[in-house]
Amino acid sequence: MPVNLIIILFLPLIGGTIVLLFRKQPELCRRLALAIALTELILVFSLFLITLSIPGQMTPLVIDAPWVPSLGIHFFLVLDGISLALVLLTAWLIVLCMLVSWRSVNAHTGAFHFVLLFNQFAVMGVFLAGDPFLFFLFWEIQLLPMLFLIGLWGREHRVAATVKFFLFSMAGSLFMLLALVGPYAYHSDPAGAQIVGRNIDAWLFGAFVLAVAVKVPLIGLHTWLPDAQSASPTAANVILAGLSLNTGAYALLRFGFPLFPAAAHNAVPLLLFLGLLGMVYFAWIADAQQELKRLVAYAGIAHMSLIVVGLAVWNQMALTGAVMQMINQGLTIPALFILVGILEERAPNRDLANFRGLWARMPLFSGFFLLFAMSAVGLPGLNHFIGEILILMGAFHKWPIVGVIGFAGLLLTLVFVLGRVQTLLFGPAPEAVPAEDITGRELAILIPLAVAVLWIGLFPGTLLDLLAPEVSHLADQFGGGLHSQPITPPGAL
Amino acid sequence: MSDWLLSMLVHICLAMGGLLIFCAGAFFRRRPADLLFIMALVAVTLSALAVFFLPAGPANPNQMVDIAPFGAFFYLLLIMISGLTLLFSRQYAQEKGISGDEFYGIVLFAAFSMLLVAGPQHWVILFLAVEFLSLSFYILIALSNRAPGAGEAALKYFITGSVAGAFLAFGIAILYAATGSMMIIESLATFKGADDQNLVLLGVSLILVGIGFKLSLVPFHFWTPDVYQGAPAPITAFLSSGAKVCLLAALVRFGMASADWLWTFLGPVLWVAAALTMAWGSIAALTQEHLKRLLAYTAMAHMGYLLMAFLALPDSGPGPILFYAAVFATMEIGAFGAVGLLSPAHPDHPDRDGLKAYQGLGHSHPVIGAVLALCLLSLAGLPPTAGFFGKIVLFKAALQGNLLILAVIGMLATSISIYAYLKVIVALYMSPRQDDARMPTPPLLGRLAAMVVVVLLLWSGLLPGMLLDVIARAGAGF
Repeated sequence: MPVNLIIILFLPLIGGTIVLLFRKQPELCRRLALAIALTELILVFSLFLITLSIPGQMTPLVIDAPWVPSLGIHFFLVLDGISLALVLLTAWLIVLCMLVSWRSVNAHTGAFHFVLLFNQFAVMGVFLAGDPFLFFLFWEIQLLPMLFLIGLWGREHRVAATVKFFLFSMAGSLFMLLALVGPYAYHSDPAGAQIVGRNIDAWLFGAFVLAVAVKVPLIGLHTWLPDAQSASPTAANVILAGLSLNTGAYALLRFGFPLFPAAAHNAVPLLLFLGLLGMVYFAWIADAQQELKRLVAYAGIAHMSLIVVGLAVWNQMALTGAVMQMINQGLTIPALFILVGILEERAPNRDLANFRGLWARMPLFSGFFLLFAMSAVGLPGLNHFIGEILILMGAFHKWPIVGVIGFAGLLLTLVFVLGRVQTLLFGPAPEAVPAEDITGRELAILIPLAVAVLWIGLFPGTLLDLLAPEVSHLADQFGGGLHSQPITPPGAL
Repeated sequence: MSDWLLSMLVHICLAMGGLLIFCAGAFFRRRPADLLFIMALVAVTLSALAVFFLPAGPANPNQMVDIAPFGAFFYLLLIMISGLTLLFSRQYAQEKGISGDEFYGIVLFAAFSMLLVAGPQHWVILFLAVEFLSLSFYILIALSNRAPGAGEAALKYFITGSVAGAFLAFGIAILYAATGSMMIIESLATFKGADDQNLVLLGVSLILVGIGFKLSLVPFHFWTPDVYQGAPAPITAFLSSGAKVCLLAALVRFGMASADWLWTFLGPVLWVAAALTMAWGSIAALTQEHLKRLLAYTAMAHMGYLLMAFLALPDSGPGPILFYAAVFATMEIGAFGAVGLLSPAHPDHPDRDGLKAYQGLGHSHPVIGAVLALCLLSLAGLPPTAGFFGKIVLFKAALQGNLLILAVIGMLATSISIYAYLKVIVALYMSPRQDDARMPTPPLLGRLAAMVVVVLLLWSGLLPGMLLDVIARAGAGF
């Protein structure tokens, strides 16, 4: 039994509880929590390095123990290439969250770090779970720390924003519950499934997509996100953009399509439409934003819509691109949020009008901002380019029109990003511009991110080799649509 | 003879306990509240132990009271609820000046009647037990008559309860006239010719009306928010957990004994009642500014979910209802118990009710605030609490029973009611602290009871297998 998997999953939870015991001493809490998060990161990173060094395909680490036999639920964890990449991202981003909040969170510090570590536990559980109910448990439980993260340590309108976020997400989750319980209920009674007809699978998949549409979010159910991002502290921005949105795409990848292949095949046009419309719409709306956090939020969900397009296309190339984009946008968008957070720490007002011509006063900051902005746009040599080109080429293979419209969406992103970069970084600086450049702690956060962005852009093979086996397995097994057999969850009747 | 003694020992312990408490109260000039409390606890513990001495074997259909594993499960659950009520109410009763032989004695009598309601084989036993239960609660609610609202709540409960009892009696009488049998299983399972069908249907419908009153099903639910709000918090806890669970047990009994044609006729009616109850409870909870009323309405919604699981009884068995009933009782007693622990100590003041009064309490009283928050999260159905598995089990049962539309309504009702729970959690943790000089420190026994609730909720939420196995055995032994 791979013990390291258990440790990776439960260390944040146990560590977080220990931190909570010391909540009367904020400094100790900070250091202890950071130590735990760094330990976790080292563990996962060493696993990552070991996996890369072994030639050939990675054998997934699996833990399968019966949990609730009477309901057919197993404690089933699986760590394969895709999960490993996402778990590494999780471990890293939580460390960044702690570093970013080092000076800015001073109230209830112990509880804050407990919430961060609990969040890490929940998100890792989502990425590691192989049993649908275990997945659903972690999917729901990850809402709780976000509720407190935004509601307790956020900014103006934090309560309204977090309530909206929670309600949207819970409503979606309940539909996912319906979708996950449905096969158990109906497959145990084949006569029942016959009576209702094949349509029942379509309805159940529709329920699943509803949950994913709230989470990712797809256009139409996205209205909770800009408010939540605007009201969040920087740590919550990072988690929301880098991890929570990815769990939505991950759900579709791991459970949506494999559990309901026929219904998914029929729903592809709808998913493509929503994804493409989202790309165009969110890029357009982002252009109109005055507040920086909302701007970055919309940029993030424009990228998520492209990921959904890649998932809907579901061939080898597009799927690889989609998974890669999940990692990429989990690096770039949090980096942009961190930069915005740095600006906020310098000056209270987040209106774009106050920030102009930053290059002259804060050259290091502007350099990083330019790097991550260009990465978000898809400049070749940086990480997004690889993912985006893979998705577009994969889409072009199947339906050229999708590739064309996708590219148009990317062009729109380019337009608004370039415009913002010009206003923000270049041009004349008003007197009120903050002058203090990036500190050492902030450098420690940003340099590894920049290195990762460059590495994936210049040497994508590292990441692609990790992802390729599992992705091709998924693409082959469920690419056949109507002819694919749905996976039976372990222990199902 | 000794077999009979063993089989009735559970009931005897509670009844004798109550009687002895009254005797003890009469002997001393000043009521020895401590002694009476200890006597009550001892009685509850003894009867809990006595459950394990029940003679094994399937139910004997000719007995008046059921002692098979099915009944035993509910006995244990109800005794646990009674024990927790006693622990929650010790300090509360002391402060409000109602601690005495009436209180503890009648709590024991209420527990005794709950056991009888949960395990009858004979209609008269059911009727007597329901009436006794209601009588006990009228007194318990009205005891703290110095606090505003208690007298009104008791009167409301009394009037609606009496009407319910009347319906119940009339229904039983008609059923007896139609089937000629006063044994529950026999009378419900008989299938006669077309003439008697209508009479049986009428009788069963009236019985359902009576039970519907007690279970706060639409349209018999109007008493619920006022009574829950006016009653003292520990008594509300007892009412919303114990009284509901025992009637659910009775309902499950009827459901499992009923002939198929009864299901065909009454199924749609119950379907509508379930849908309306879920919807009404959830929507009405949205606008509440008082915690006890909010909890009352959401408890109603949960009754709707349980009724949905009841409708799936022919397809998925009694397991889901039993599981969710146990979980629901624990959540309710935890939530109202926490309200009682957080309430001011003065006898003239009502319980801490307004949501404004709860602002910031999560920080000033972290432990009890966390208990309240955990119970609310469990009611909302979030992991890692027992409510999460409860929802899974419920909706699985509903889908197995082909109740897709009802399941979707249930889902919508759950999402709506989450806002109500969220309001309380936001008030507890995300609102500025209110200065409150009247706060008592939570008593030791109350905290003990709260910890028991937390452990049960988390245990059933993380390792529900044990509870599910127990329930499977109980269901098999019907």
